[in-house]
Amino acid sequence: MKNLSMMEAIREAMTKKMREDPTVFVMGEDVGAFGGCFGVTAGMFDEFGAERVRDTPISEGVIIGCAVGAAATGTRPIAELMFIDFATVGADQLVNQAAKMRYMVGGKIKLPMVVRLPLGAGTRAAAQHSQSLEAWLAHIPGLKVVYPSSPNDAYGLMLKAIEDDNPVIFLEHKLLYGIKGDVDENSKPIEFGKADVKREGKDLTVVATGKMVYEALNAAEELAKEGIEVEVIDPRTLFPFDKETLFNSVEKTNKLIIVTEENKRGSFAGEISAIVAEECFDNLDAPIIRVCSVNSPVPFSPVLEDYYVPNAGDIVKAAKKMF
Amino acid sequence: MELNNTKIIEMYKTMKRIREFETNASKLFAEGQIHGFVHLYIGEEAVATGVCANLREDDYITSTHRGHGHIIAKGGDVKYMMAELYGRQTGYCKGKGGSMHIADATKGIIGANGIVGAGQNIATGAGLSAKLRGTDQVCACFFGDGSTNQGTFHESLNLASIWRLPVVFVCENNLYGISMHQSRHQAIQDIADRAVAYNIPGVVVDGNDVFAVYEAANEAIERARNGQGPSLIECKTYRHHGHFEGDPAKYKPAEEVAEWMSKDPLPRLVNYMLDNNILSKEELNEIDRQINDEIKEAIKFAEESPWPPIESVVEDIYTDIVEEVEK
Amino acid sequence: MKTIGIIANPASGKDIRRLVSHATVVDNNEKINIVKRIILASQGTGVENIYIMPDTFLIGHKAIEDLKLSKELKIPVDILSMKIQGNLNDTIRAAELLEELEVGVIVVLGGDGTLRAVAKGNSNIPVIGISTGTNNVYPRMIEGTVAGMAASAIATNMCDKYNSCIRDKRIEIYKGSKLLDIALVDCVISKQTYVGSRAIWNEEDIVKVIVSNAHPAAIGFSTIVGVRKIISDKDDFGACVNLNVGDKYYLAPIAAGTMKTIKLDEPTIHKVDERFDLEFDFNGIMALDGEREIPFKIGESYGFKITRNGPIRVNIRKTIESAQEIGFFACK
Repeated sequence: MKNLSMMEAIREAMTKKMREDPTVFVMGEDVGAFGGCFGVTAGMFDEFGAERVRDTPISEGVIIGCAVGAAATGTRPIAELMFIDFATVGADQLVNQAAKMRYMVGGKIKLPMVVRLPLGAGTRAAAQHSQSLEAWLAHIPGLKVVYPSSPNDAYGLMLKAIEDDNPVIFLEHKLLYGIKGDVDENSKPIEFGKADVKREGKDLTVVATGKMVYEALNAAEELAKEGIEVEVIDPRTLFPFDKETLFNSVEKTNKLIIVTEENKRGSFAGEISAIVAEECFDNLDAPIIRVCSVNSPVPFSPVLEDYYVPNAGDIVKAAKKMF
Repeated sequence: MELNNTKIIEMYKTMKRIREFETNASKLFAEGQIHGFVHLYIGEEAVATGVCANLREDDYITSTHRGHGHIIAKGGDVKYMMAELYGRQTGYCKGKGGSMHIADATKGIIGANGIVGAGQNIATGAGLSAKLRGTDQVCACFFGDGSTNQGTFHESLNLASIWRLPVVFVCENNLYGISMHQSRHQAIQDIADRAVAYNIPGVVVDGNDVFAVYEAANEAIERARNGQGPSLIECKTYRHHGHFEGDPAKYKPAEEVAEWMSKDPLPRLVNYMLDNNILSKEELNEIDRQINDEIKEAIKFAEESPWPPIESVVEDIYTDIVEEVEK
Repeated sequence: MKTIGIIANPASGKDIRRLVSHATVVDNNEKINIVKRIILASQGTGVENIYIMPDTFLIGHKAIEDLKLSKELKIPVDILSMKIQGNLNDTIRAAELLEELEVGVIVVLGGDGTLRAVAKGNSNIPVIGISTGTNNVYPRMIEGTVAGMAASAIATNMCDKYNSCIRDKRIEIYKGSKLLDIALVDCVISKQTYVGSRAIWNEEDIVKVIVSNAHPAAIGFSTIVGVRKIISDKDDFGACVNLNVGDKYYLAPIAAGTMKTIKLDEPTIHKVDERFDLEFDFNGIMALDGEREIPFKIGESYGFKITRNGPIRVNIRKTIESAQEIGFFACK
């Protein structure tokens, strides 16, 4: 057991797999000696060298496209884009190539590749470096979407992502890189589609992803003081999505709040809400509430950005409407 | 590097097979037997043939929306191709891809592609993979003149150059990006000029002369195999049909069409072979008859093949997850 | 007539030798720039009218348009009225037209292949070759401005033409009594049978080389003779040599950056105007100035003759020096 930051946990998992399997390699902008935009790959260049920790030009399209070609021909690339916002530049390669190739060719090709996408607001980086675009990705059949919130989850999910024979989108919230937690280095990969109950409670279910898991836990702490016991669920993977854990919780609490950092309109929070409304309606005692960011681009000014992102206070306020 | 007669006849068979496949596809489309977008390779046969004649079975190709020729030249089976055009279960893609997405991983065909220019990126990946695995495999990447205005072209040539990847970029300059003449879609005439910007060799060859293509590809592939990095071969050629079947191609001037029809790669090769006694007229007719039969059989195979079962709509998305078939 | 002609071959500088001999691509937009520099240098030194060959890339049109936009064009520049075929025939036809127009000089952008085409269309007007090709025995690597000044000196009669120009030799190839084709520098007999990518670079298939001039420094197949015997443009003879015969080996720079060891017989000298005939006992092809052109069959016979019917070549340095002496650069 080691106490690692989320960033270290991701690095440890990649390093472990690269030691085990010579076909695993990392590519992306400044991932080499520079260590990656946020330092996630720091030190890996020293161990594996320039061949397997490859600096790429600033060419998001070919970073993903090259990973597709490499994955189709016997290697296991891990591609890093600096920000999820830049996935739009390589969107064709992600949406039309990576996601669809296997299907279009009738299952004759597999694409074991991971695309790491740092995301999220809170770094005062304004609208093109702060988005949460997970709904776009989860919308596309052919991609798996992973979004860990703790170092241990990140470690186990990264192990699984590299082992997976399909394109896996690995979402990393930038504000969580420094968060510390115990990681069991000998633990098994975490299966996709298994949510984690981060706090148990009987009165209200809060589903949250990424950094919002912590806001939900803080809100739960606050609400507990008023006698409301909140159950906080982190789905950990958006696709495949663990319906069972969620339905069991809603069956118990009869109330659901969904918290994500996305713009509310067209969000994955909306998808979760729809799933519960369609398949678990009879267990609901109150309308579902989504707590998301406002429908604006991510603003720059700290005053505006702090308002833009949901926080524990917003969750508490929403919860109180239900009681 | 004189080609022996067996190899020349082999190349003729490939070109003839492509021509025959495409001519039938055109007819079947007109009759309503096959559907969707069908982009035919008629007129450009010498390019795929001349390049693939230099490739090993374990070498890779990436292809385009106009991909039938590449797939046949790399050894694809016309039976499974035709069945795919028909959307049948026995097709290369089990009826899920159609004309634009045929692949055969066992032959190194990592896919035709419906997005113009997308194959260029994928080809660099195949080249990188070969390099990382320490093999001497090469990837030939086919694309048209239109795609050289996509970012992918520039990103890929740049990446392949700086990493010295074993990729041969083969530009089929057929003069048109869909309906737009090359002189209107780019400020250069020779796409090979762009090689200079990426510090790789760029050459122009007569894409309607299979020997010219063969020679250039031979050099470029050897170069790539020896670790000397990528090259760009521009093959000047012409598509006889419209962009897709159903496009009457009214944007092509009659004079231009006539000029290029006179440069048709197939009669040129036939004349050469007869002229140099590589085979007799009778032997030629026999080859043509066999290929004709082969395509007829492929059509019969396709027609007799079952439609894909509905449950298969949600299969082959992932290796391990089957989505709900219920709507 | 103070006029000059310009022929710029849009296809030169892109053949397979970029793959086999480290040659570089010459892009067509640079050819436009060279044409602009020729125009500016010649109009600035007294040329009154310029004709340019039309081509598929519109090199001439684009040069004129650019100079009009920058307001630098002072004299009429016309594109020759002719139908474009998009191949070497355009160059031949343009050379014919320029000869009919009696221009003072023709400036050619291209390689040996382009100059050969010019020589097929014109034999009376002096030619300046600017190398934008690959194997360039004939045209020179020269700045467009310098070529423009020399062209102007010739066209305006402001130089010693007699000493500045030389009538070159050429190799004439006959089938029976019919003149079939010409080469300016070399005719290579190869065992290859198809035209393919046109350029020739593989010495293994070569049987014979016939040359009008030969020098070890003139990179290309004529060096195969040149490494044994130097034949200058003043010599009234050419030569023919057999490869893979005898027991002597020589190093020859048969392409840019390509030194080959070649087994070589003693070259046979052929005097100007003395025809010799060869009968071939194999199927093959003749490459003229580096490009595969004439396929032949076993048993066929061809005549060869070195003559003084080649183009009139301008010695640029001598031209400009003699122009300077008689006040070409002096302002009035």
